Order: sequence, then C-alpha cells, then structure tokens
Amino acid sequence: MKVDVVLFAYLATFQPDGRGGRHSRTFDLEEGTTIADVIAMIGLPDEPRVVFVNSRHAPEDQVLREGDRLAIFPPVAGG
Amino acid sequence: MREIVRVNMATGAISKEPLPAAWARYGGRALTSALVFKEVPADADPLGPDNKLIIAPGLLGGTAAPNGGRISIGAKSPLTGGIKESNSGGTAAHALGKMGIAAIIIEGVPADKTVSYVLRLFPDGMIDLVARHDLKGLGTYETVAVAKGIEAAEHRFSDKASFITIGPTGEMGMKSAGIAMTDPHGYPNRFAGRGGLGAVMGSKGLKLIAIFEEGLKGTEHADKEAFTAAVRKFANALTTHAVTGTALPTYGTNVLANIINEAGGYPTRNFSSGQFEGVEGISGETMREITLERGGNVKHGCHTGCVIQCSRYYVDKDGHYMTKGPEYESAWSLGANCGISDMDTVAALDRKCGDIGIDTIEAGVMLGVYMASGKIAFGDGPAALAALDEIGKGTELGKILGDGAEATGLAFGVKNIPVVKHQGLPAYDPRPIQGIGVTYATSTMGADHTAGYTITSNVLAVGGTVDPLKPEGQAALSQGLQIATAMLDSLGFCIFVAFAVLDMPEAFEAIHEMAAAHTGEAWDADALMQLGKETLTYERLFNEHAGFTNADDRLPKFFLEEKLAPHDVVFTVTDEELDSVYAFVPEVAAQLGIK
Repeated sequence: MKVDVVLFAYLATFQPDGRGGRHSRTFDLEEGTTIADVIAMIGLPDEPRVVFVNSRHAPEDQVLREGDRLAIFPPVAGG
Repeated sequence: MREIVRVNMATGAISKEPLPAAWARYGGRALTSALVFKEVPADADPLGPDNKLIIAPGLLGGTAAPNGGRISIGAKSPLTGGIKESNSGGTAAHALGKMGIAAIIIEGVPADKTVSYVLRLFPDGMIDLVARHDLKGLGTYETVAVAKGIEAAEHRFSDKASFITIGPTGEMGMKSAGIAMTDPHGYPNRFAGRGGLGAVMGSKGLKLIAIFEEGLKGTEHADKEAFTAAVRKFANALTTHAVTGTALPTYGTNVLANIINEAGGYPTRNFSSGQFEGVEGISGETMREITLERGGNVKHGCHTGCVIQCSRYYVDKDGHYMTKGPEYESAWSLGANCGISDMDTVAALDRKCGDIGIDTIEAGVMLGVYMASGKIAFGDGPAALAALDEIGKGTELGKILGDGAEATGLAFGVKNIPVVKHQGLPAYDPRPIQGIGVTYATSTMGADHTAGYTITSNVLAVGGTVDPLKPEGQAALSQGLQIATAMLDSLGFCIFVAFAVLDMPEAFEAIHEMAAAHTGEAWDADALMQLGKETLTYERLFNEHAGFTNADDRLPKFFLEEKLAPHDVVFTVTDEELDSVYAFVPEVAAQLGIK
C-alpha cells in the first residue's frame, strides 16, 4: 500500500532519500504496517514526538491504511 | 520598598509614592489590572482624561530570574472597551525593576495637542518630562533614532537605554495602535501590541519614554543564596525541555505554522479554511533557511534575561535588517489569513506594521476582512502594503482600517468578522481547536490566544492531551491556563516558560522558590494560583462595571454554524460551560473585599 510520509523541523533530515525538505514522500508499505514500524524504519531518535494521520493525532501502534498521510513533528510550541 | 511613579500630563507634575502594602505581592499584570480597577472609572472614555496608562515590570523584574524580563502595560482599551493588559519583551522591564519602580502611572491629558512629550527616567532617580516638536508623526524606528541622537549629544545616551514609543497611528488614536519597546539591540520591534494601547499613550501626548539604567545594580534579594539556587534550577529546566531548549531557539515561534496547519486549525483567508496550501513559504523552517542564507541572526532573546532565545531578525536579500523574524502570529495574520505565501512580502508587511505602530494580529485580521469584502484580492501583497500605507498616513480609508477588523468589516459589509469583544482572533481556528475557542470567548482581554494557551494540550501534547475536536474538558483546560498565565504575567515571566513548567514539576517549584527567596515572604503553589485568580478577578469585575455580560463571552455565530475544512466541524462547547470558566470570581472578590 502507498502512504505519504512528511517529517517536519529537524526530523526532515531523516527522510530515507537524505534530501530533507518538508514535502511528502510516498512509501510503499506492507499491509498491517504501524506508525511505530515506519518510525523504526526511518530511524527517528527515541524522543517525544507528535504524530498525525490525516490531520488527526494518532497513537504509534495505529495500523496505517492505503492513501494515509503520516506527519511527524518533534516537540514544538510557540505562539 | 518598590515605588509607584505618577505622571500627570495635564499639569506636568511627577511624583513618587510607595506601593500599597496590600499589593506587595503584585507586579506586572496583577498591578496594572489592580490599578486600572481602582483608579480608572469603568465608564471612562478610553482616549479621555480619566483613562490611565500603566506600565509595570513583573514582580521579579530587575532580577536574574530566567525569562523574567517581560513588561505589562495596562489601561481601559479603546478597542475592546474593557480592561487591557498588553505584554511585551524588550529591555524596559528589567531597567524599571532595577530602579525599584513597581509601576508608572500616566494620567490626564495635556492641553496643548501639538506637542509630543518625552518622559525620561535616569539612574539617579531623577525623572523629567520634556516637550518636543520634532517627533510628531514619526515612525517608531525614526523616533528611536532621533531620540538616540539627542541623548547622545547631551551625553546621556548609552547602550544601556530602553525606549518605549508609539508610531503615528497611536498619535492619531487608532484602535489597532500598539506600543513599541526596544529590544536588547536597540530595535523598537517588541510590542505591547494588542488592544489599542498605543492610542491611549497618544491621547496623553506621550511619544516616548526613555529609561537610562547605566550603572544601576540588580535588585537585592531577601535570600540571595536560595534565589541563585532557584534560578539555576529554572534555567536548567528551560534549557533541557525539548520545546524551550531546542525547537523554539532553532526555529522561533513560527515553528508552529506547519503543525497547526497539519492539525487543520490554521485560519486561512479570513477563517474560511483550516489549511493553507502556501504554508511552506511562510513556515518557521523556511524563515530559518532564508535568514541563514542571507547571513541574518536566527537566535537571540527578545528581553533581558531570556534563556530560551526564540527571537531572530529578518534581513533583506542584501542582508540588511528589515524587521524581527515575524512571529508565528504575524506570519499567519499577514500571510495565511491574507492568502500570502511569500516570506519577503510578509516581512515587508511586518516591518510596516512595526513602523507605523500597529498590532500585527489586528492588522492581519483586518486585512483578511478587507480582502473578504472584495475591495482588494486575497494574495495581493502590494495591495495589502498599500492599505497599511493608508493607515500610516491617516487617510479617510486608513482611519477605518486602522480601527481594526470589526470597524473594517462593518464599514465594508463583511458577514464573517472574526472578533470577540471587538478584538481580532489570533492564529488558531476555534472550530477544530475547541479549547482555544473557550479562551477567545471568555478571556477578559477579548480574543487572545496568550490568555489561556490551550494549544499546548489540544495540539502540541505539552502538559497532557485534550482532544481538540471535542468539547469535553476544554472549559477546565482554559480556566487552569488562564489562571496560570495571569500569574506568570504578574511575576514578569515570558509565558513560554509554561511549556517546561507544564511538563516538569521542578520548574514550577523553582517559580515559587524564586518568588520566596526574592521577597522573603512565603510563596507556594497555592499562592501562585491565588495571584492569578486575584488578577483575573480585578479584570472580570472591571469588565462587568464597563457593561460586559456573559453574552459578550461568545464566539461570532459563524464559528457555530459554518463547518471548517478539513475536519468539517463547528465550535460545540456549550454556553453553560463557557459561563463556568469565571465561576471563582465571587469568592475571590469577597476575599479581596471588592465588588
């Protein structure tokens, strides 16, 4: 299945193609892949993060589905 | 003993009086709000002789408390018609704190409207008021440049000077006019922006306040050793938390653009969509990349004592200073809310707002409303800049636009005007982020995100999580944060310390430890919360006296009726829940003996 993955702020450098940037990359994943599986695959550091699937917060054990957009942020704030 | 400085603009009299003993725990917002409550009639004309402009450093102003150098400016607001505390960075709070000044009260109005007055405070305690004819109508940057030249000629100026000023919009009494403070590098780019307080300062004939602190020592502490230990503990928490230690110093506040957009709560084109297709162009990441490429500064503190360092300067293509790195709110209001996705355009608009002296949030919300009227098109940067020029010149059109979003919407027949208590909504749509809607609706300040920043738990997973799309738990979340914020504003802390405080118990402890060690009085968690409640009680009662009722604690109807993409939701927190937020007021008012 195809899932779009976007990484923000300093996590952008972890995109597997090594090119950084905040544009989405399409991952070809096996059915049943979870968010945690993707995080392990791209080797994100073991630190707190905020995860959205299709603009909703999502727990990391959530199973991804065809066409999902997965967005991952490090802890950020401002205002 | 801290003192209050009273300046009468009608007579030119300047006097000092001791801070009342009952207010020994007050500083910053607690003091400005208590003073407005006590001394300003609730029915006063905001631009008339009975209103007072009150400037107060926090209780810990002038000390080494990390991120404790914020300043509060209070008055009755010409924009909202209610009480206002507008909070800013810069260097003035620290200087006033070191002078032992708890507050400056500017009262009365001068008979001669053609003169601009300059109030000067010197390190030896001398204070004078000087009439000048060469500052009228100048922008904030030129005002400060001229003032520096004069003071340098008189051998008074040094780098240890702080300036507080207004642009031409404040002199013209426009309701979106703010008050500018110089930052640690002397740029007048930090603002007490909200609520039209620049117009109040202008109505007093006061163009500039200059504070000279050269040679002043820091304030003394009741227990220096304990204070130093608490400072160390607090600084350690701020520099190790992921938000205050890494994300904010690296990207600035505008690091929020992408996450709020991702969450579907990034108000776009006058709050008609929750996601902006051009967010990448105005995001914090992009701003950092552009600034680094051009050789600009991407990390410094906006106020004395800041260890978070989320401020930055935006430079033009040749590397010259243009303006501060537009904050998240400004990049949103002048960007996404206007359909503008170009950072240089946003920076040019930010610079113009700063120079003519208007609040960037109110300006961007106004421009969004003006664009919705069809008079100019969404996305048209040059037209937006031209509209700001009209404001600066005070043309017939400019006078309407300069009075803000509501005045503009009413003048041009716009249906959806995003304001609460006549003040424009900031950068989070309250439909997909319901907690912030509670804060917008109920805050004593009118629509204000900083008053109770529920984005923490609603979106950022700081201080726990509360589902942003559902009404449950939002009123309690907003209430707790409104109380805590009023407390931080009173001690003089930057509210960004809350990101660490909400997650790290030792950071919260360090706050009451600093307060106790500095003052020698007993402070604990309850005392901190009591300070917040007392502050809000003065504000709420002032607003009641000014005629506000629960009916004013509501969002505009379109947020309850028109669904917002991508989540297709409306605001669903009930009126009953909104009315529960200030349920503590009668009890605290009784404790204070006020009605």
